[in-house]
Amino acid sequence: MEHVYPGKCIRCGRCVEVCPYRCIELLDIRHGLSAGTPIIDVEKKPCFLCMKCVHVCPTGALLPIEQHETRMGLAVIDQHTCVSWKPDSLLMCKTCYNVCPFRDTAIRMEEFKPYVDERYCVGCGICTNACLVNREQGGKAINIKPIYATIKLPEVPQ
Amino acid sequence: MMRWSWGNKRLLVLAGAFALLLLAPLLNYYYDINFIQGWYQSIGIGDFWIVSPLEGLESLLVTREPFGPLLAALFFPVLLALLLGRVFCSWICPITFLTEVSERLKKLLSKKTATPERWTLFRQMLWFALGLELFLTLVLGAPIFVFMSPPGLIGRELMMLIFFRTLPLEGLIIILVLILNLTSKRFYCRYLCPLGAFLALLGMKRRVRIENILQNCKGCRTCDRACPMGLSPSVGEGTTVYCWNCGTCIDNCPYGQLVFKVKKEESRPPIPMQKRS
Repeated sequence: MEHVYPGKCIRCGRCVEVCPYRCIELLDIRHGLSAGTPIIDVEKKPCFLCMKCVHVCPTGALLPIEQHETRMGLAVIDQHTCVSWKPDSLLMCKTCYNVCPFRDTAIRMEEFKPYVDERYCVGCGICTNACLVNREQGGKAINIKPIYATIKLPEVPQ
Repeated sequence: MMRWSWGNKRLLVLAGAFALLLLAPLLNYYYDINFIQGWYQSIGIGDFWIVSPLEGLESLLVTREPFGPLLAALFFPVLLALLLGRVFCSWICPITFLTEVSERLKKLLSKKTATPERWTLFRQMLWFALGLELFLTLVLGAPIFVFMSPPGLIGRELMMLIFFRTLPLEGLIIILVLILNLTSKRFYCRYLCPLGAFLALLGMKRRVRIENILQNCKGCRTCDRACPMGLSPSVGEGTTVYCWNCGTCIDNCPYGQLVFKVKKEESRPPIPMQKRS
């Protein structure tokens, strides 16, 4: 869910077994030392933030955190293909806004265009799976990009 | 009532432990019952969590910070090893189950005697395996045994089969270990298993040991030939650190000279057996 530290995780697979949506998969031996650690491919199957996995982890590789503290990636809108962002478009789609679990904080509508706020986006991938636009080069008009633990995101004001 | 030999009791426990590995993912996948999760790397039965001691130690060594639930989950297996020795290996481990089942099948089919002792090494090899494994873990900064551990891998393969209909490539390790175990008697368990070594080390001062009571011992050495670990219980090697308390020698002794002995602490007076009112 958050950054799984391959030294901490003991590859017991309990997070995989409790995930009710079968979103969590295990990396295989091709990933070297990270083999056997869990991963969520949110663009394939989104995480619905039920937080069951973090409560069964015995080693603290997944910490029991709140839903809004999760960071799995960051949703990035492709402004060239999003129908609401096209300058000459008469369509106004707000599917990503509607499905976002943190509506009005993570995705906001401003002047009929969706904006992602990187301070709040948890990267769950629900928007990507709901987006109606299929790009020619693959993916949707809103995609999840990986974030790395080295990048410090601005503090979330409470 | 028929008296069950230790071998049959043990096979029953081993089969139950193996069935648990199949049952847990089936319940989780088809019925969404999360009561039991995991396998012998870490298993959670309700809120009762167990983490395999070596895997837990590796995780602690690599991260260098204690995590409460991990320490709590280590308590029970460490206590078991301290009191009973390496019994996980002989009574629970799925590798032992698969080895024993194939040995029994082989016996039924070919009428041959048990697996030969083709290669014998120094027993101390076990400590070397443990040391090397921990050293490599620290050098690489990632726990090695957690994704190479044969007992854990069996659980992972079964779970992957049920959840994703695939078998990960690491499963070849299981096949390799089984080939080693069936070519030369318990070769992997005896000389190479770091988890076994760690549990043996914990069980060095265990309470339950196999002893020769030496009243009627004829020195026939049947027990020595039967021992899967290549020990000689006839001369008291059942009390050494290498014995895993499986009870095979007890079953095989024609004179009933070998017994499980519970060693009590000398300093403490024996607890009276009658109930207090």
